[in-house]
Amino acid sequence: MNNILSINGLESYFFVFIKGFFIFSSLLYFVFALIVVKQVTSMSKSVTDKFNPILIIFSYLHLGFSIFLILTMLGL
Amino acid sequence: MGFVINYIMNRSKDLDTIAPDDLSVEASSAVEALAKSAAKSDEIVISKPVKEVKEKTKETKKPIIENDFNPGFYDILGHTKSPFSAFLVHPKVLTFSEQDENEKIYLAARPHWINNLSWILLATLMLFVPLFFKYFTFLNFFPIQYRFSALLFWYLITFIYAFERFLTWYFNLFLVTNQRVVDIDFNNLLNKHFATADLEMIQDTSSSVRGVFGTFFNFGDVLIQTASEKNQIIFEKIPNPEKIIKLLKELRDLEEQKNDGGKENE
Repeated sequence: MNNILSINGLESYFFVFIKGFFIFSSLLYFVFALIVVKQVTSMSKSVTDKFNPILIIFSYLHLGFSIFLILTMLGL
Repeated sequence: MGFVINYIMNRSKDLDTIAPDDLSVEASSAVEALAKSAAKSDEIVISKPVKEVKEKTKETKKPIIENDFNPGFYDILGHTKSPFSAFLVHPKVLTFSEQDENEKIYLAARPHWINNLSWILLATLMLFVPLFFKYFTFLNFFPIQYRFSALLFWYLITFIYAFERFLTWYFNLFLVTNQRVVDIDFNNLLNKHFATADLEMIQDTSSSVRGVFGTFFNFGDVLIQTASEKNQIIFEKIPNPEKIIKLLKELRDLEEQKNDGGKENE
């Protein structure tokens, strides 16, 4: 595969495309993670239970990991 | 003492000439005078009947359906063993935003936990998917940073899949309160569904247990017919549907008794 892509310098274009795709996906994922935080907070307000704070913590942890994902993608 | 009794007798003879208010004032003052002149034990005798009357009035004012949980409902529903149970009897902590001040939750039910088995298995499989990638040698063409990022992305997707399914289960609630039945659903994190029916509006209830899993784990659907505009509320895959039907019947009977009692008092 490496040989195929190295023909005519396609390799660099391929990785640029992959990187762009990864960054775009991670940005979309970040927006989704924000929605999850918003929704979990909203659900917790709607129905209060002792387990809710743990769910909110998980949603924020997920948001943190999605930011870490963007940073990782940008570092490629 | 004899003077006081004579005084009262003489006063009662002149009832036509004395205003009724005056009589009562005089009579009460005479009783006070009697009480003062008598021994202290007399005071106890006077105060006793008053207490009894107060107790009697309390008993008659007692409502048929109280806000507090009737312990008799435990005979129907049993006790909750775990706070994460799908069948919470008289939960102490659980509340919902549309709850009234005097509204008490008697039962909170979620779909039976066995319904989560499919997504738990799928999420577990998704965790192991990256292990198979080592057999695809052409993926080694990608630098290690790319592979790490893709792996992180995959595990985040796995996590959010499981988390979303758990939230959908956790916030899918069926509540029976002392006033109504409530259905709260969150679908796909973006849609909230809230339906309610007053106990007095319930006309008919039915349940159905279907399939091998339903029969084995005793869960099914509870259908509630109401007299309101939206005349049907369905709770799906709820554990112990027969107990819920019994509870609703009990509450409806109590509601009817309350209404009948109210009419009789009128």
